[in-house]
Amino acid sequence: MNWYLQNGKDSDVIISSRVRLSRNIEGLPYVQKCNEEQLKTVHNKLKDITPSIGYGLKFISLNDLDNTNKQALVEKHIISPEFSKTRNKYAAIIINDEENICIEVNEEDHIKLQVFSSGMELENLMNLAIEIDQKLEELVPYSFNKKYGYLTACPTNVGTGLKVSVLAHLTALSLTENIRKVLNAVNNLGMSIRGMYGEGSKPEGDLYQISNNQTLGVTEKEITKNVKLISQKVIEQERTARKYLAKKGIDLEDKIYRDFGVLSNARKLSEEEARELLSSVKLGTDLGIIKELDDTKISKLILQTKPANLQLRVGKELSIYEQYIERAKIVQDIINEK
Amino acid sequence: MLCQNCGKNEANIRYTQIINGVKKEIALCSSCAKKLGMENLEMPISFNSFLGDFFNDYAETEFLPMLQTNELKCKTCGMTYNDFIDTGMFGCSDCYDVFSNPIDSLLKNLHGTAKHIGRGPNGKAEKIKVEESKKEDSNKQDQNQNKKERLEKELEKAIKEERYEDAAKIRDEIKEMNK
Repeated sequence: MNWYLQNGKDSDVIISSRVRLSRNIEGLPYVQKCNEEQLKTVHNKLKDITPSIGYGLKFISLNDLDNTNKQALVEKHIISPEFSKTRNKYAAIIINDEENICIEVNEEDHIKLQVFSSGMELENLMNLAIEIDQKLEELVPYSFNKKYGYLTACPTNVGTGLKVSVLAHLTALSLTENIRKVLNAVNNLGMSIRGMYGEGSKPEGDLYQISNNQTLGVTEKEITKNVKLISQKVIEQERTARKYLAKKGIDLEDKIYRDFGVLSNARKLSEEEARELLSSVKLGTDLGIIKELDDTKISKLILQTKPANLQLRVGKELSIYEQYIERAKIVQDIINEK
Repeated sequence: MLCQNCGKNEANIRYTQIINGVKKEIALCSSCAKKLGMENLEMPISFNSFLGDFFNDYAETEFLPMLQTNELKCKTCGMTYNDFIDTGMFGCSDCYDVFSNPIDSLLKNLHGTAKHIGRGPNGKAEKIKVEESKKEDSNKQDQNQNKKERLEKELEKAIKEERYEDAAKIRDEIKEMNK
């Protein structure tokens, strides 16, 4: 089973963890300043060494993926939306079947090494990232400077080149209108926390990404520890808010079962509506209110109601209207799965 | 409302620009918006130039009077400091050396420091332990125990050799540890 359908540590609040290392190849300008020939050099170099890295990694040119497949990776948070739309024909990904390792080639930096896991799994991910990074640096010379560390195109990544992040479902904090306080507290502690979708005050699906800002002048270990500490505080707050909500008893149960009722009986569902309803139903499952679903089903529902993954599941391209209808069907199928 | 650029088509895109608090608004039709390079409306604000502006403000107040950073140019990739201000991105590894002067303070502003202390190439990376906090504690305790034993021996020795002043110091140190 792929990591994004698995059930991880603290996964009532933390959906997934990610560790990302930004690296550049010595002797070549950064992607933005590369000419076609140089981009091709990066592309071919990484293509050549892919088998030597191991881990069942495969090199795939972004050009060889259709839009639906690219979008499906964005929906799984494996590649960035900007990268999926790049016009750079030498952009590529190096990815394994489990999709828990994905190296973006010719994104903002030559190499963006990412590893993923469900739930809260920062130390193991960090060790895996360093292990792969050490293999890579035997195969390609990295651009490294004694004073500034690993050099990156953007100075916000320089030094360790490391961003550690978790994706958190902070629905009770949002429902109890405590989310602002938490956002402020986290930002004041030098971490960044932001809504995963949209720009409005309330991110859709109540998903927030917590990550480190500082990449220079701290060790990899410290960054990992800091993100973990902050995340644990946020988890605590979210759980407290959930307990508070649970005390309201029937009111919360009523809301969650109404949302579950719409979700499981609708004949047409938009992406946004499904996301809102699923956020509420996930809370209901985590609190043990809804017994009809489990974590794997919830993860499946969240992923496969997104447009590209939905179309991949159905196996053909669908108009927006057709997607509404198929989405409602898929939701019922997954709920009724044995 | 008609497009304020061509005056022919119905405007369906409203573009708002705020520079130094001055708000400018223009209504455009989609074809004019495309012509003017605004077709990618999903992300109308370029984060990179935003970052660059931040550096620019900082550079102007802090460095420009003293250092003519704008004149600097990286010979390897042709990047000038102004390019960097525009994009917020460096062009190649050599840029870090060329712009070392102005960027040190920018890095301090971003990260609180301008010196890397993490791992480097060919360096042995220590495995990060999952239960690290507990282990550190027990290590510390072991270390304390060792230190105490060593001090006690020294104390004995000092008394034997009638170095009472030293002995008093060591005794105080042990007392401190037992607190």
